[in-house]
Amino acid sequence: MSKELKYVGQTLPIHDAPQKVRGELVYLSDMRLPKMLYAKLLLSPIAHGQIIKLDTSSAEALPGVIRVFTYLNTPNKTYSRYRIIPDQESCIEDERLFTDKARFIGDRIAAVVATSLETATEAISLIRVDYEALPVLGSPEEALQDDHTRIHPEGNLIHQFDVELGEQDSLPNDCLLVETATRTQKVHHAAIETHACLADFNSSGKLTIWAACQGVFGLRTVVADLLELNYNNVRVVKMPLGGSFGGKQEAIIEPITAFLAKEVRRPVKLILNRRESIIATTTRPATNTTIRTNVTIDGMLKDCLVDTVFDAGAYATSSVDNAHAMSKKISRLYRIPYYKHQGRIVYTNTPVAGGARGWGAPEILTAMEIHIDAVAKRLGMDLVEFRLKNLVHPYDKDKATLLSLGNARVIECLEKGAAAFGWRERYNKDSDMGRYRRGVGLACAAHKNGMYGGFPEHSTMTLKMNEDGSFIMNTGLHDLGCGTITSIKQIVAEVLDVNLSYITVLEADTECGPYDFGSYGSRVTYICGACAYEVAGRIKEKLLECASHILRKPKQYLEVENGGVWIIGKEQQKISYREIATMAKIKDNTDIVITHTYHGTSNPGAYAVHFAEVEVDTKLGTVRITDYLAVHDIGKAINPGMVEGQIQGAVQMGIGYALCEELKIGSEGSILNSSFKDYHVINAPDMPRVKTILIEQGGDEGPYGAKSVGEIAFVPVAGAVINAVNNALGTVLSDMPLTPEKIIASL
Amino acid sequence: MQIEFNVNDQEYKMEIYPTMRLVDLLREELGLTGTKEGCGEGECGSCTVIMSGKAVNSCLVLAPQIRGQKIITIEGLEKNGQMDRLQESFINNSAIQCGYCTPGMLMSAKALLMANSNPSEAEIRIAIAGNLCRCTGYNKIVNAIKEAGEGI
Repeated sequence: MSKELKYVGQTLPIHDAPQKVRGELVYLSDMRLPKMLYAKLLLSPIAHGQIIKLDTSSAEALPGVIRVFTYLNTPNKTYSRYRIIPDQESCIEDERLFTDKARFIGDRIAAVVATSLETATEAISLIRVDYEALPVLGSPEEALQDDHTRIHPEGNLIHQFDVELGEQDSLPNDCLLVETATRTQKVHHAAIETHACLADFNSSGKLTIWAACQGVFGLRTVVADLLELNYNNVRVVKMPLGGSFGGKQEAIIEPITAFLAKEVRRPVKLILNRRESIIATTTRPATNTTIRTNVTIDGMLKDCLVDTVFDAGAYATSSVDNAHAMSKKISRLYRIPYYKHQGRIVYTNTPVAGGARGWGAPEILTAMEIHIDAVAKRLGMDLVEFRLKNLVHPYDKDKATLLSLGNARVIECLEKGAAAFGWRERYNKDSDMGRYRRGVGLACAAHKNGMYGGFPEHSTMTLKMNEDGSFIMNTGLHDLGCGTITSIKQIVAEVLDVNLSYITVLEADTECGPYDFGSYGSRVTYICGACAYEVAGRIKEKLLECASHILRKPKQYLEVENGGVWIIGKEQQKISYREIATMAKIKDNTDIVITHTYHGTSNPGAYAVHFAEVEVDTKLGTVRITDYLAVHDIGKAINPGMVEGQIQGAVQMGIGYALCEELKIGSEGSILNSSFKDYHVINAPDMPRVKTILIEQGGDEGPYGAKSVGEIAFVPVAGAVINAVNNALGTVLSDMPLTPEKIIASL
Repeated sequence: MQIEFNVNDQEYKMEIYPTMRLVDLLREELGLTGTKEGCGEGECGSCTVIMSGKAVNSCLVLAPQIRGQKIITIEGLEKNGQMDRLQESFINNSAIQCGYCTPGMLMSAKALLMANSNPSEAEIRIAIAGNLCRCTGYNKIVNAIKEAGEGI
C-alpha cells in the first residue's frame, strides 16, 4: 500500500452504539403498528405422534381471538426453510406451516391470532389435540436401526455421501494407525433477543415482513413461493438483530407470521419466548465422528478416513449442505495425501438442526484437533512440532475445491502463538497430582471466505453522492451486531478519503435495495467489503472526471484528499466534494452515482490457532480457564477493536461448547433443559481474559487484504479447551461437553 | 389498583393490574422499550433496571412492588443531554455489539458504581454475573465499567 491508511485499521464503535447505550434502537420486539395483532403457537408436547383429533372451538370462542389455524384449514404445501434461491439444490421440502404429525417436541401444531398476547396465550391452552403416539427415535443410531418407524415417508436416512480427495498410495510399513471418536452435541445459539417477526399484508396485495434475519432475499424466496406471491409484492426489511450466530439464517418463523398476516389482513407480530426459541427454532447439529489416520513414525500424515453421522433433527433444513461442508474442512488445514469422508445425515425426533457459527467446521475440526493430539502423543512428539509438519502452507491448493488457499498463514499463527504463550515450558512442566490440576492445550482451525467454489458468490451496491458531497450507499448488508456497517464505512472512507460522518450505509431491503445473499458463509468482509471497495473506487473515478472538467486538468494530475480533490503539486488548488457534486449537477448535468456488482473469484482460508490453560478441580470435576490466547490470520483488521470483540465473544461461546452447553434430550424425546435456568452459558465471572494476536499479511482479494473472523474465531475454541483438560488429567475425553460428571468418571 | 411511583425522575400515578410485571409496565404502558426481555425468568438480565438503588430483573418484579419506589431505566441514565460515563466508556471500549444486553448490562454496572465508585475487576464480574452477553465475551464490558469507575 503506497498511502498510509487513515480509516482502515482504526478501532471504531459499532455504527448504532449511541442509540444502543440510550435504549433508543428499535428492535422488532419494540415495534407496534396500528391494528396490530399478536400470534402465539401451539407446539407439540410429544416427540412423535399422528394427530387424530383437533378441537379448536373453545379457543375460537374466546373473546379477542381473531382466528385459529391448524393443518386442517391451511395449505398442505411443503417447503424448505433453508432455500436462498429458487431451484437451489439440496433444499429438501419436508416442512409445512402446520403439521398433522408431531415429529419433535416443539413441532408447530396450531397458531392463534388475537388482539393481545395474553389472549392468544390463553387460547392456545384451550386447544385440544389427541395424538396417536408413535415410537420416538431420539438418536441417529435408533433412527437408522428402526426400519418400521419413519419420521418422514422417504425414510430416516436423508442423504449419504462419500467424498474422496487425493489418491490412496501404498503406505510405508512403519505407519501407525490411530483412531478416535468424538461426539458433538446440540447447542442453543442463545442470542439474547429471541426470535421475533412482524408482517403485514395490505389491500394492494403487498406483503411486508420486518425480519431480524441474516438474509432478506432468502426469506423472500421461501415466503413468496410458499404463499404464491410475486417477488415484487413481497418486501422483506432487515431489522436490528439482538444476536443471531446462524440461528436466524433460515426462514423459521417468517413464513408463518407472513401467512397469518395475509389471512387476517392485519399486521401480526410473533415473538417466541426463550423456551420456544430453544426448542422450536434451530440448534447446532449434533454429530458423531470417527477419524482414522495413518501416520509415519517421523510424523507425516499419510491418509485420513472420516465417518460422520449427522443428527438433522426432525426436518432436513440445511443439514445436507452443512454435512457436506464438514467434509471440506480438514483438507483446508492439513496436508494429507489421501482423504476420505463418509457422511450420513439422519432424521430424529429431536429439535431441528440448522446453520450455526462455523457451519460444520467447529464440529469436524474439534474432532480433528482431539485426534491430532492423540496421534502426536502416540508418536511421542510435541503437539506443536507434529502440527507444524502437517499444516498447509501459503498458496497450497485446497483439495476439495481445487482453488488456492491464498496466503494461508496458519504456521505463522502456531509459531508466534506458541512463543507468546510459552507453550514448550508450560506443556512440559511436571504435572500436578493434587486436587487442582493445570494443563495447557491448543487447537488449529481453518475456515473460508465466502461461498465461491461451491455456490454463486456476488454482491451489488449502489453508491451515490449527494449535492453536499456526502454519500449514501445502498446495500443488501445485514449487520448482525458485529460491526459490519462500520467496517464497510471505513473501507469507503479510505477509498474516498472522507470522514465516516459523510457516509451512510443502508442495510438490506428486498424492495428498495440491491441483491446480496446475506450474512453467513464468512462472506461479508471478504465479498461485500470488496464490493464496497470497488464501488467506492468507481465513484472516485467519476468524481475525478467531474473535477477534471472543473479544474481543467486531466484526471491523472488529480488526487482526492480529506473530502476534496486537488491538483497534485498545487495543494492550494483544491475543490471540495460539495463543490464537485453541485457543479456536476448544474454545469455538467451529471449525477454521481454508481451501481456495481462484485463477483467473488477466490476463497482463501481463514486461520486461527488458540491456546488455553485450564485448572481442573478433580474433586468437583469443574474446569476453570486460567489463560487464553487467540492468534488469527486475518489478512488485515479493518476495525481491530471489533475483530477482538468477535474473537472474545467466540471464546465465550466455545468454552460453553467444550464444557457445559448442551440441549439435552431425555427419554421419549423429552427436552431436559429448555430455559436459561438449566441451559447454562458462560457468564462474566467464568470468562477469562482473552489475549489476541492478529497476523496481518494480506495477500488475498479482500478489501485491503482483509479476511473473515466471526466464524473462524469459534472453530478452535472447544478443541483447545478439551485438549487442555486432557493434558491436565492424562485423559482422552471426547464426548462433549466435558461436564463435571464426565470428568469425575474419567479419573 | 392505583399506585404511585417514580421512573427516571418523573412521578406517576397509575391504575394497574396487580399481576402486571414491571417489565411490561415499563415497555407497554410507559413506552420505555429500552428495557429488553430475554428470558422472562430472571436468568439473562436484559430487563435489569435500578429500583431504589439496587439492580433488579424487571421481569421478576410485579408492578405493585414499585409503589413509592424510584426506578431508573436505561432511558434515565443520560442527564441534561449528557451521557453517563458508563455510556461513554461502553462506546469507547467497543463494549457493544448487538446491543440487546447493553441496557441491562449498563443498569447493573450503574447500580454497582452507585454503591462502589471504584470496584475491582472481580467485583465488576460479580455485579454483572446475572447479565448474559452472547456477543462480546465480557472482556470489553469489564474494561468499560472499570474505566468508568476509575473516572468517577
